[in-house]
Amino acid sequence: MDQLLQHVLNAVVLGGTYALLGIGLTLIFGVMKVANFTHGELYTFGAYMAYLLIGPLGLNFFLGLLIAVLLGVLLGAVIEYVLLRPLQGAHMDTVMLVMIGAWIALQNLELLTWGGVAKSVPQPFPTEPLVIGSVSVAPLRIFVLLAALVLLAVFYLILNRTKFGIAIRATFQDPDVSSLMGVKINQMFTLTFAIGSGLAAAAGALLAPVFVVIPIMGDLVTLKAFAVVILGGLGNIVGATIGGFILALAEEFGAGYIDSGYRDAIGFILIILVLLLKPQGLFAPRERTG
Amino acid sequence: MRKTLPLIAAFLSITSASANEPIKIGMSQPLTGDIAASGTYVANGAKVAVDVVNRSGGVLGRQIQLILEDNKSNPKEAVATAEKLLSGDKVPVLLGAWGSTLTLAIMPRLLDYKVPMIVETASSSKVTNSGNPWIFRISPPSSLEAKAFGETLLDKFNPAIKKADMLVVNNDWGRGAADEFTKLLRSKGIEIGAVERMTADATDLSAQLAKIKQAGGDTLFVTTSIEQLTLVLKQAQEQRLPQRIVSTGGATAPDQLIEQAGNAANGSYHIVFFTPWFLDAAPHAEVARTFVDEWKKKGYNAAGLTDGYRGYDGILTAVQAIKDAGKAEPEAIRQALWNVNVKGVNGDIKFTKVGPDGSESGQSIPSIFIVQIKDGKVIKP
Amino acid sequence: MTERNIALCLAAILAVLPFGVTNQYVLFTLTSAGILVIAAMSLNLLLGYAGQLSLGHVAFFGIGAYVSALFSLGFEFHYGAEEPIVVPALPVWIAFVLGICFAGVFGWIIGKLAFRVRGAFFVILTIGFAQVSRMVALNWVSLTNGPMALTNIPPLSFWLPGHGIVPIQGRMESYYVVLILGIIAYWILDRIVHSRVGRALVALRENEPLARSVGIRVTRYLVLATAISAAMAGGAGAMYAHYVRVIDPDVFMFIYTVTMVIMVMTGGKGTLLGPVVGGLIFGLLPELLRQLVRPELQLIIYGVAMILIVFFLPRGIVPALLKRPSSASNESKSARMNSEANT
Repeated sequence: MDQLLQHVLNAVVLGGTYALLGIGLTLIFGVMKVANFTHGELYTFGAYMAYLLIGPLGLNFFLGLLIAVLLGVLLGAVIEYVLLRPLQGAHMDTVMLVMIGAWIALQNLELLTWGGVAKSVPQPFPTEPLVIGSVSVAPLRIFVLLAALVLLAVFYLILNRTKFGIAIRATFQDPDVSSLMGVKINQMFTLTFAIGSGLAAAAGALLAPVFVVIPIMGDLVTLKAFAVVILGGLGNIVGATIGGFILALAEEFGAGYIDSGYRDAIGFILIILVLLLKPQGLFAPRERTG
Repeated sequence: MRKTLPLIAAFLSITSASANEPIKIGMSQPLTGDIAASGTYVANGAKVAVDVVNRSGGVLGRQIQLILEDNKSNPKEAVATAEKLLSGDKVPVLLGAWGSTLTLAIMPRLLDYKVPMIVETASSSKVTNSGNPWIFRISPPSSLEAKAFGETLLDKFNPAIKKADMLVVNNDWGRGAADEFTKLLRSKGIEIGAVERMTADATDLSAQLAKIKQAGGDTLFVTTSIEQLTLVLKQAQEQRLPQRIVSTGGATAPDQLIEQAGNAANGSYHIVFFTPWFLDAAPHAEVARTFVDEWKKKGYNAAGLTDGYRGYDGILTAVQAIKDAGKAEPEAIRQALWNVNVKGVNGDIKFTKVGPDGSESGQSIPSIFIVQIKDGKVIKP
Repeated sequence: MTERNIALCLAAILAVLPFGVTNQYVLFTLTSAGILVIAAMSLNLLLGYAGQLSLGHVAFFGIGAYVSALFSLGFEFHYGAEEPIVVPALPVWIAFVLGICFAGVFGWIIGKLAFRVRGAFFVILTIGFAQVSRMVALNWVSLTNGPMALTNIPPLSFWLPGHGIVPIQGRMESYYVVLILGIIAYWILDRIVHSRVGRALVALRENEPLARSVGIRVTRYLVLATAISAAMAGGAGAMYAHYVRVIDPDVFMFIYTVTMVIMVMTGGKGTLLGPVVGGLIFGLLPELLRQLVRPELQLIIYGVAMILIVFFLPRGIVPALLKRPSSASNESKSARMNSEANT
């Protein structure tokens, strides 16, 4: 029972960041139809920026995180402007190849800049865990979960309450019609990619002090984000949020009660089952021909 | 006569076309990819050794040239580096290749080209047991490490270990360590609780740790890379794991753990093969001091010393063998390797025969130490 | 010059090349690039002709490698409490053929399952299959030996009249075996592409609803293409296993799939010669860069080169070379078609 509670708690804490990663990816896919293989590199970039600002530059922890996220937004905008805008209208596979190229180049640029030795980000919270009954959790992790939830809430508000959000949702539905209605598609794409990248960078910056920062940290993250997105339905933002928590729960319980060696396969087994047994997806009623 | 022959050989090689050309030593290490950090340390250790040797006049009157190739932490690339070094550069001796998988991938090439390789990092028993007479390993396989642990280090734990759990990376190294340490501890009457695995790139280990916490042992043996060990220490603290943590495999840099895991590293024990904190305790203090001084002079990170020494010892071994052989030729170097007795950073390097009769591989028996992190410092327990 | 003539010239050049090359390392590099080229050619059938991007192609490569290695070494199959089934070591060429067959069967099954979905869903489903295959290879230790690797895999051998069984061990022999296998694969693909099956695949790539409406049994053709493609990738994997002679779960690494995709896309998908040209360039580029710059920079250049090729030769190198003045209008037409297919 104690173990069960601890597993649930671990999964919830992890799920928040999976959701952030998934939403960023699904947003970009939904609006732009781009399978973004640089997603994990934006996560890595966010983590390294958090390290640079809070570690060597000695900035305040919270300010450092904020700036790291903003830099992620900026890098996202640059990638969109330089790499994706010229390719508008190109085939999805072509765009994907460019993103894979950017992924390889970015990852090794990070290795070149920072070296392969892991970096760790100092954090202001006490390292003694909070103990509730028989389960325990680090204060830092609570902060990460709360920050992720706040970001998710802000994101929903933007999407549902602002003009920009309505434009995004319209582009989601039908880019041609929305451009006829006066939505500036180019700006929309840049903003979308920047926000999606910012969410990935936020996940990276938040998790940097929890884990360690290394150049290859993005690889697994990209695959996980894709898993979250598929679970929730491509382009489905609510689905991606729930998908993040489902993936975390499945991994945690799979590793806890079945076999920890298969932990990272569980997400994929889940995806395969979902796609095969319920091809219309857990949350998406639409036909799966993305 | 026995002494003059190498002299004549040396003379002949001087007068040949390659008179003043440096002697090449090939090295395959992971400089990019998953294990780039550690591979780079080992490569740096080798570079330091080459500098030290060359400054003191090289070997056989010639300089040493290190040809370093990146195997990208990938077996297919490891084979490519071996092919490049063996058939392109025609090196007479190889050093490599960080890890059993990468080393095993190269081994068939050694048989093809008949060139010896000094293996500086690889834990699998397969490396020396598969009948490859060109393999000379200076790092301990898991079985030797566990044996040495049982003989010299087990009684240093107070209170004594009664029930142990294992958390290992899911590769040949981790699995091998789990098997060998389980066998050893059981033979000493110690109970084994949970044995958990983690993939090499996993960052969240909470599920495994929750399970281990329930298993209720008093000591947790962890075998994995320094990055993942840092995560284990941090997350064990988060979950208030009661076990004392012992890392095996010697791949840990305790200084880096202190820096990155903070007070979560306190109380943990680490099996290491080189103790730069207590240079006087090193088997050959003078050699160890030279290595540490030169390493620092080059501006390399001190945390890399516990990895870097393997590259250093590897080069010292290769150079000694070339010197004894009297010529830079693969077969002669292989013969010479059987008789070397190198004063290395880790201790005496000399090879004994292991594996199938007639095609034995060489295995040196390294020294092994244990250190503890206490109040942010490395101490002898 | 037509594509077929260029292919013949290229094959002739590659056939005489070893006589002009003294450096064995060049032969090795060409051989190991050649193995991936065969895998890339098989991927091209799905990606270029059927228009389905599989990012799990390495699963078939790995299955071929493992099956062939296991049958040539002999293995025990544990399936429960009963005595394990003991399979003795088989001659290498039989193991090689079995590797191809198993990969083909897996391709057929996965095709059956995966073609319920299309587009990005298909892409991610195939990634999922490859990841799960890797995890199985890693954790099913009693069969695959897990991360402890399968070692001492015998080299490929063939039965020659008058010589008995001849192992293929030297650089030169391996080079020619891969070249011959490559030519056979090319010939098979050429036949398929110019057959009814090939035309059906292209028809459904261009417009699936239309293809369906004229009575093409879309899923059946896609599954068939996947099975053939998988068998061929399995053959490349088996060749890899007997060439490198050691395999571990790393043969399922995602980077191999990425390499195959790069080879197909930069060379020109949907052309027979594309994967060969792209494969030779991206197979040789890393080795060339190895001599020139430091490791991290090599990979940065590799990534940037990919981006530049896509930007300046969006349809790949081979179509750009083969382009005749009259095909300009075709190109804009197909570009329009692609953008329509996207929406």
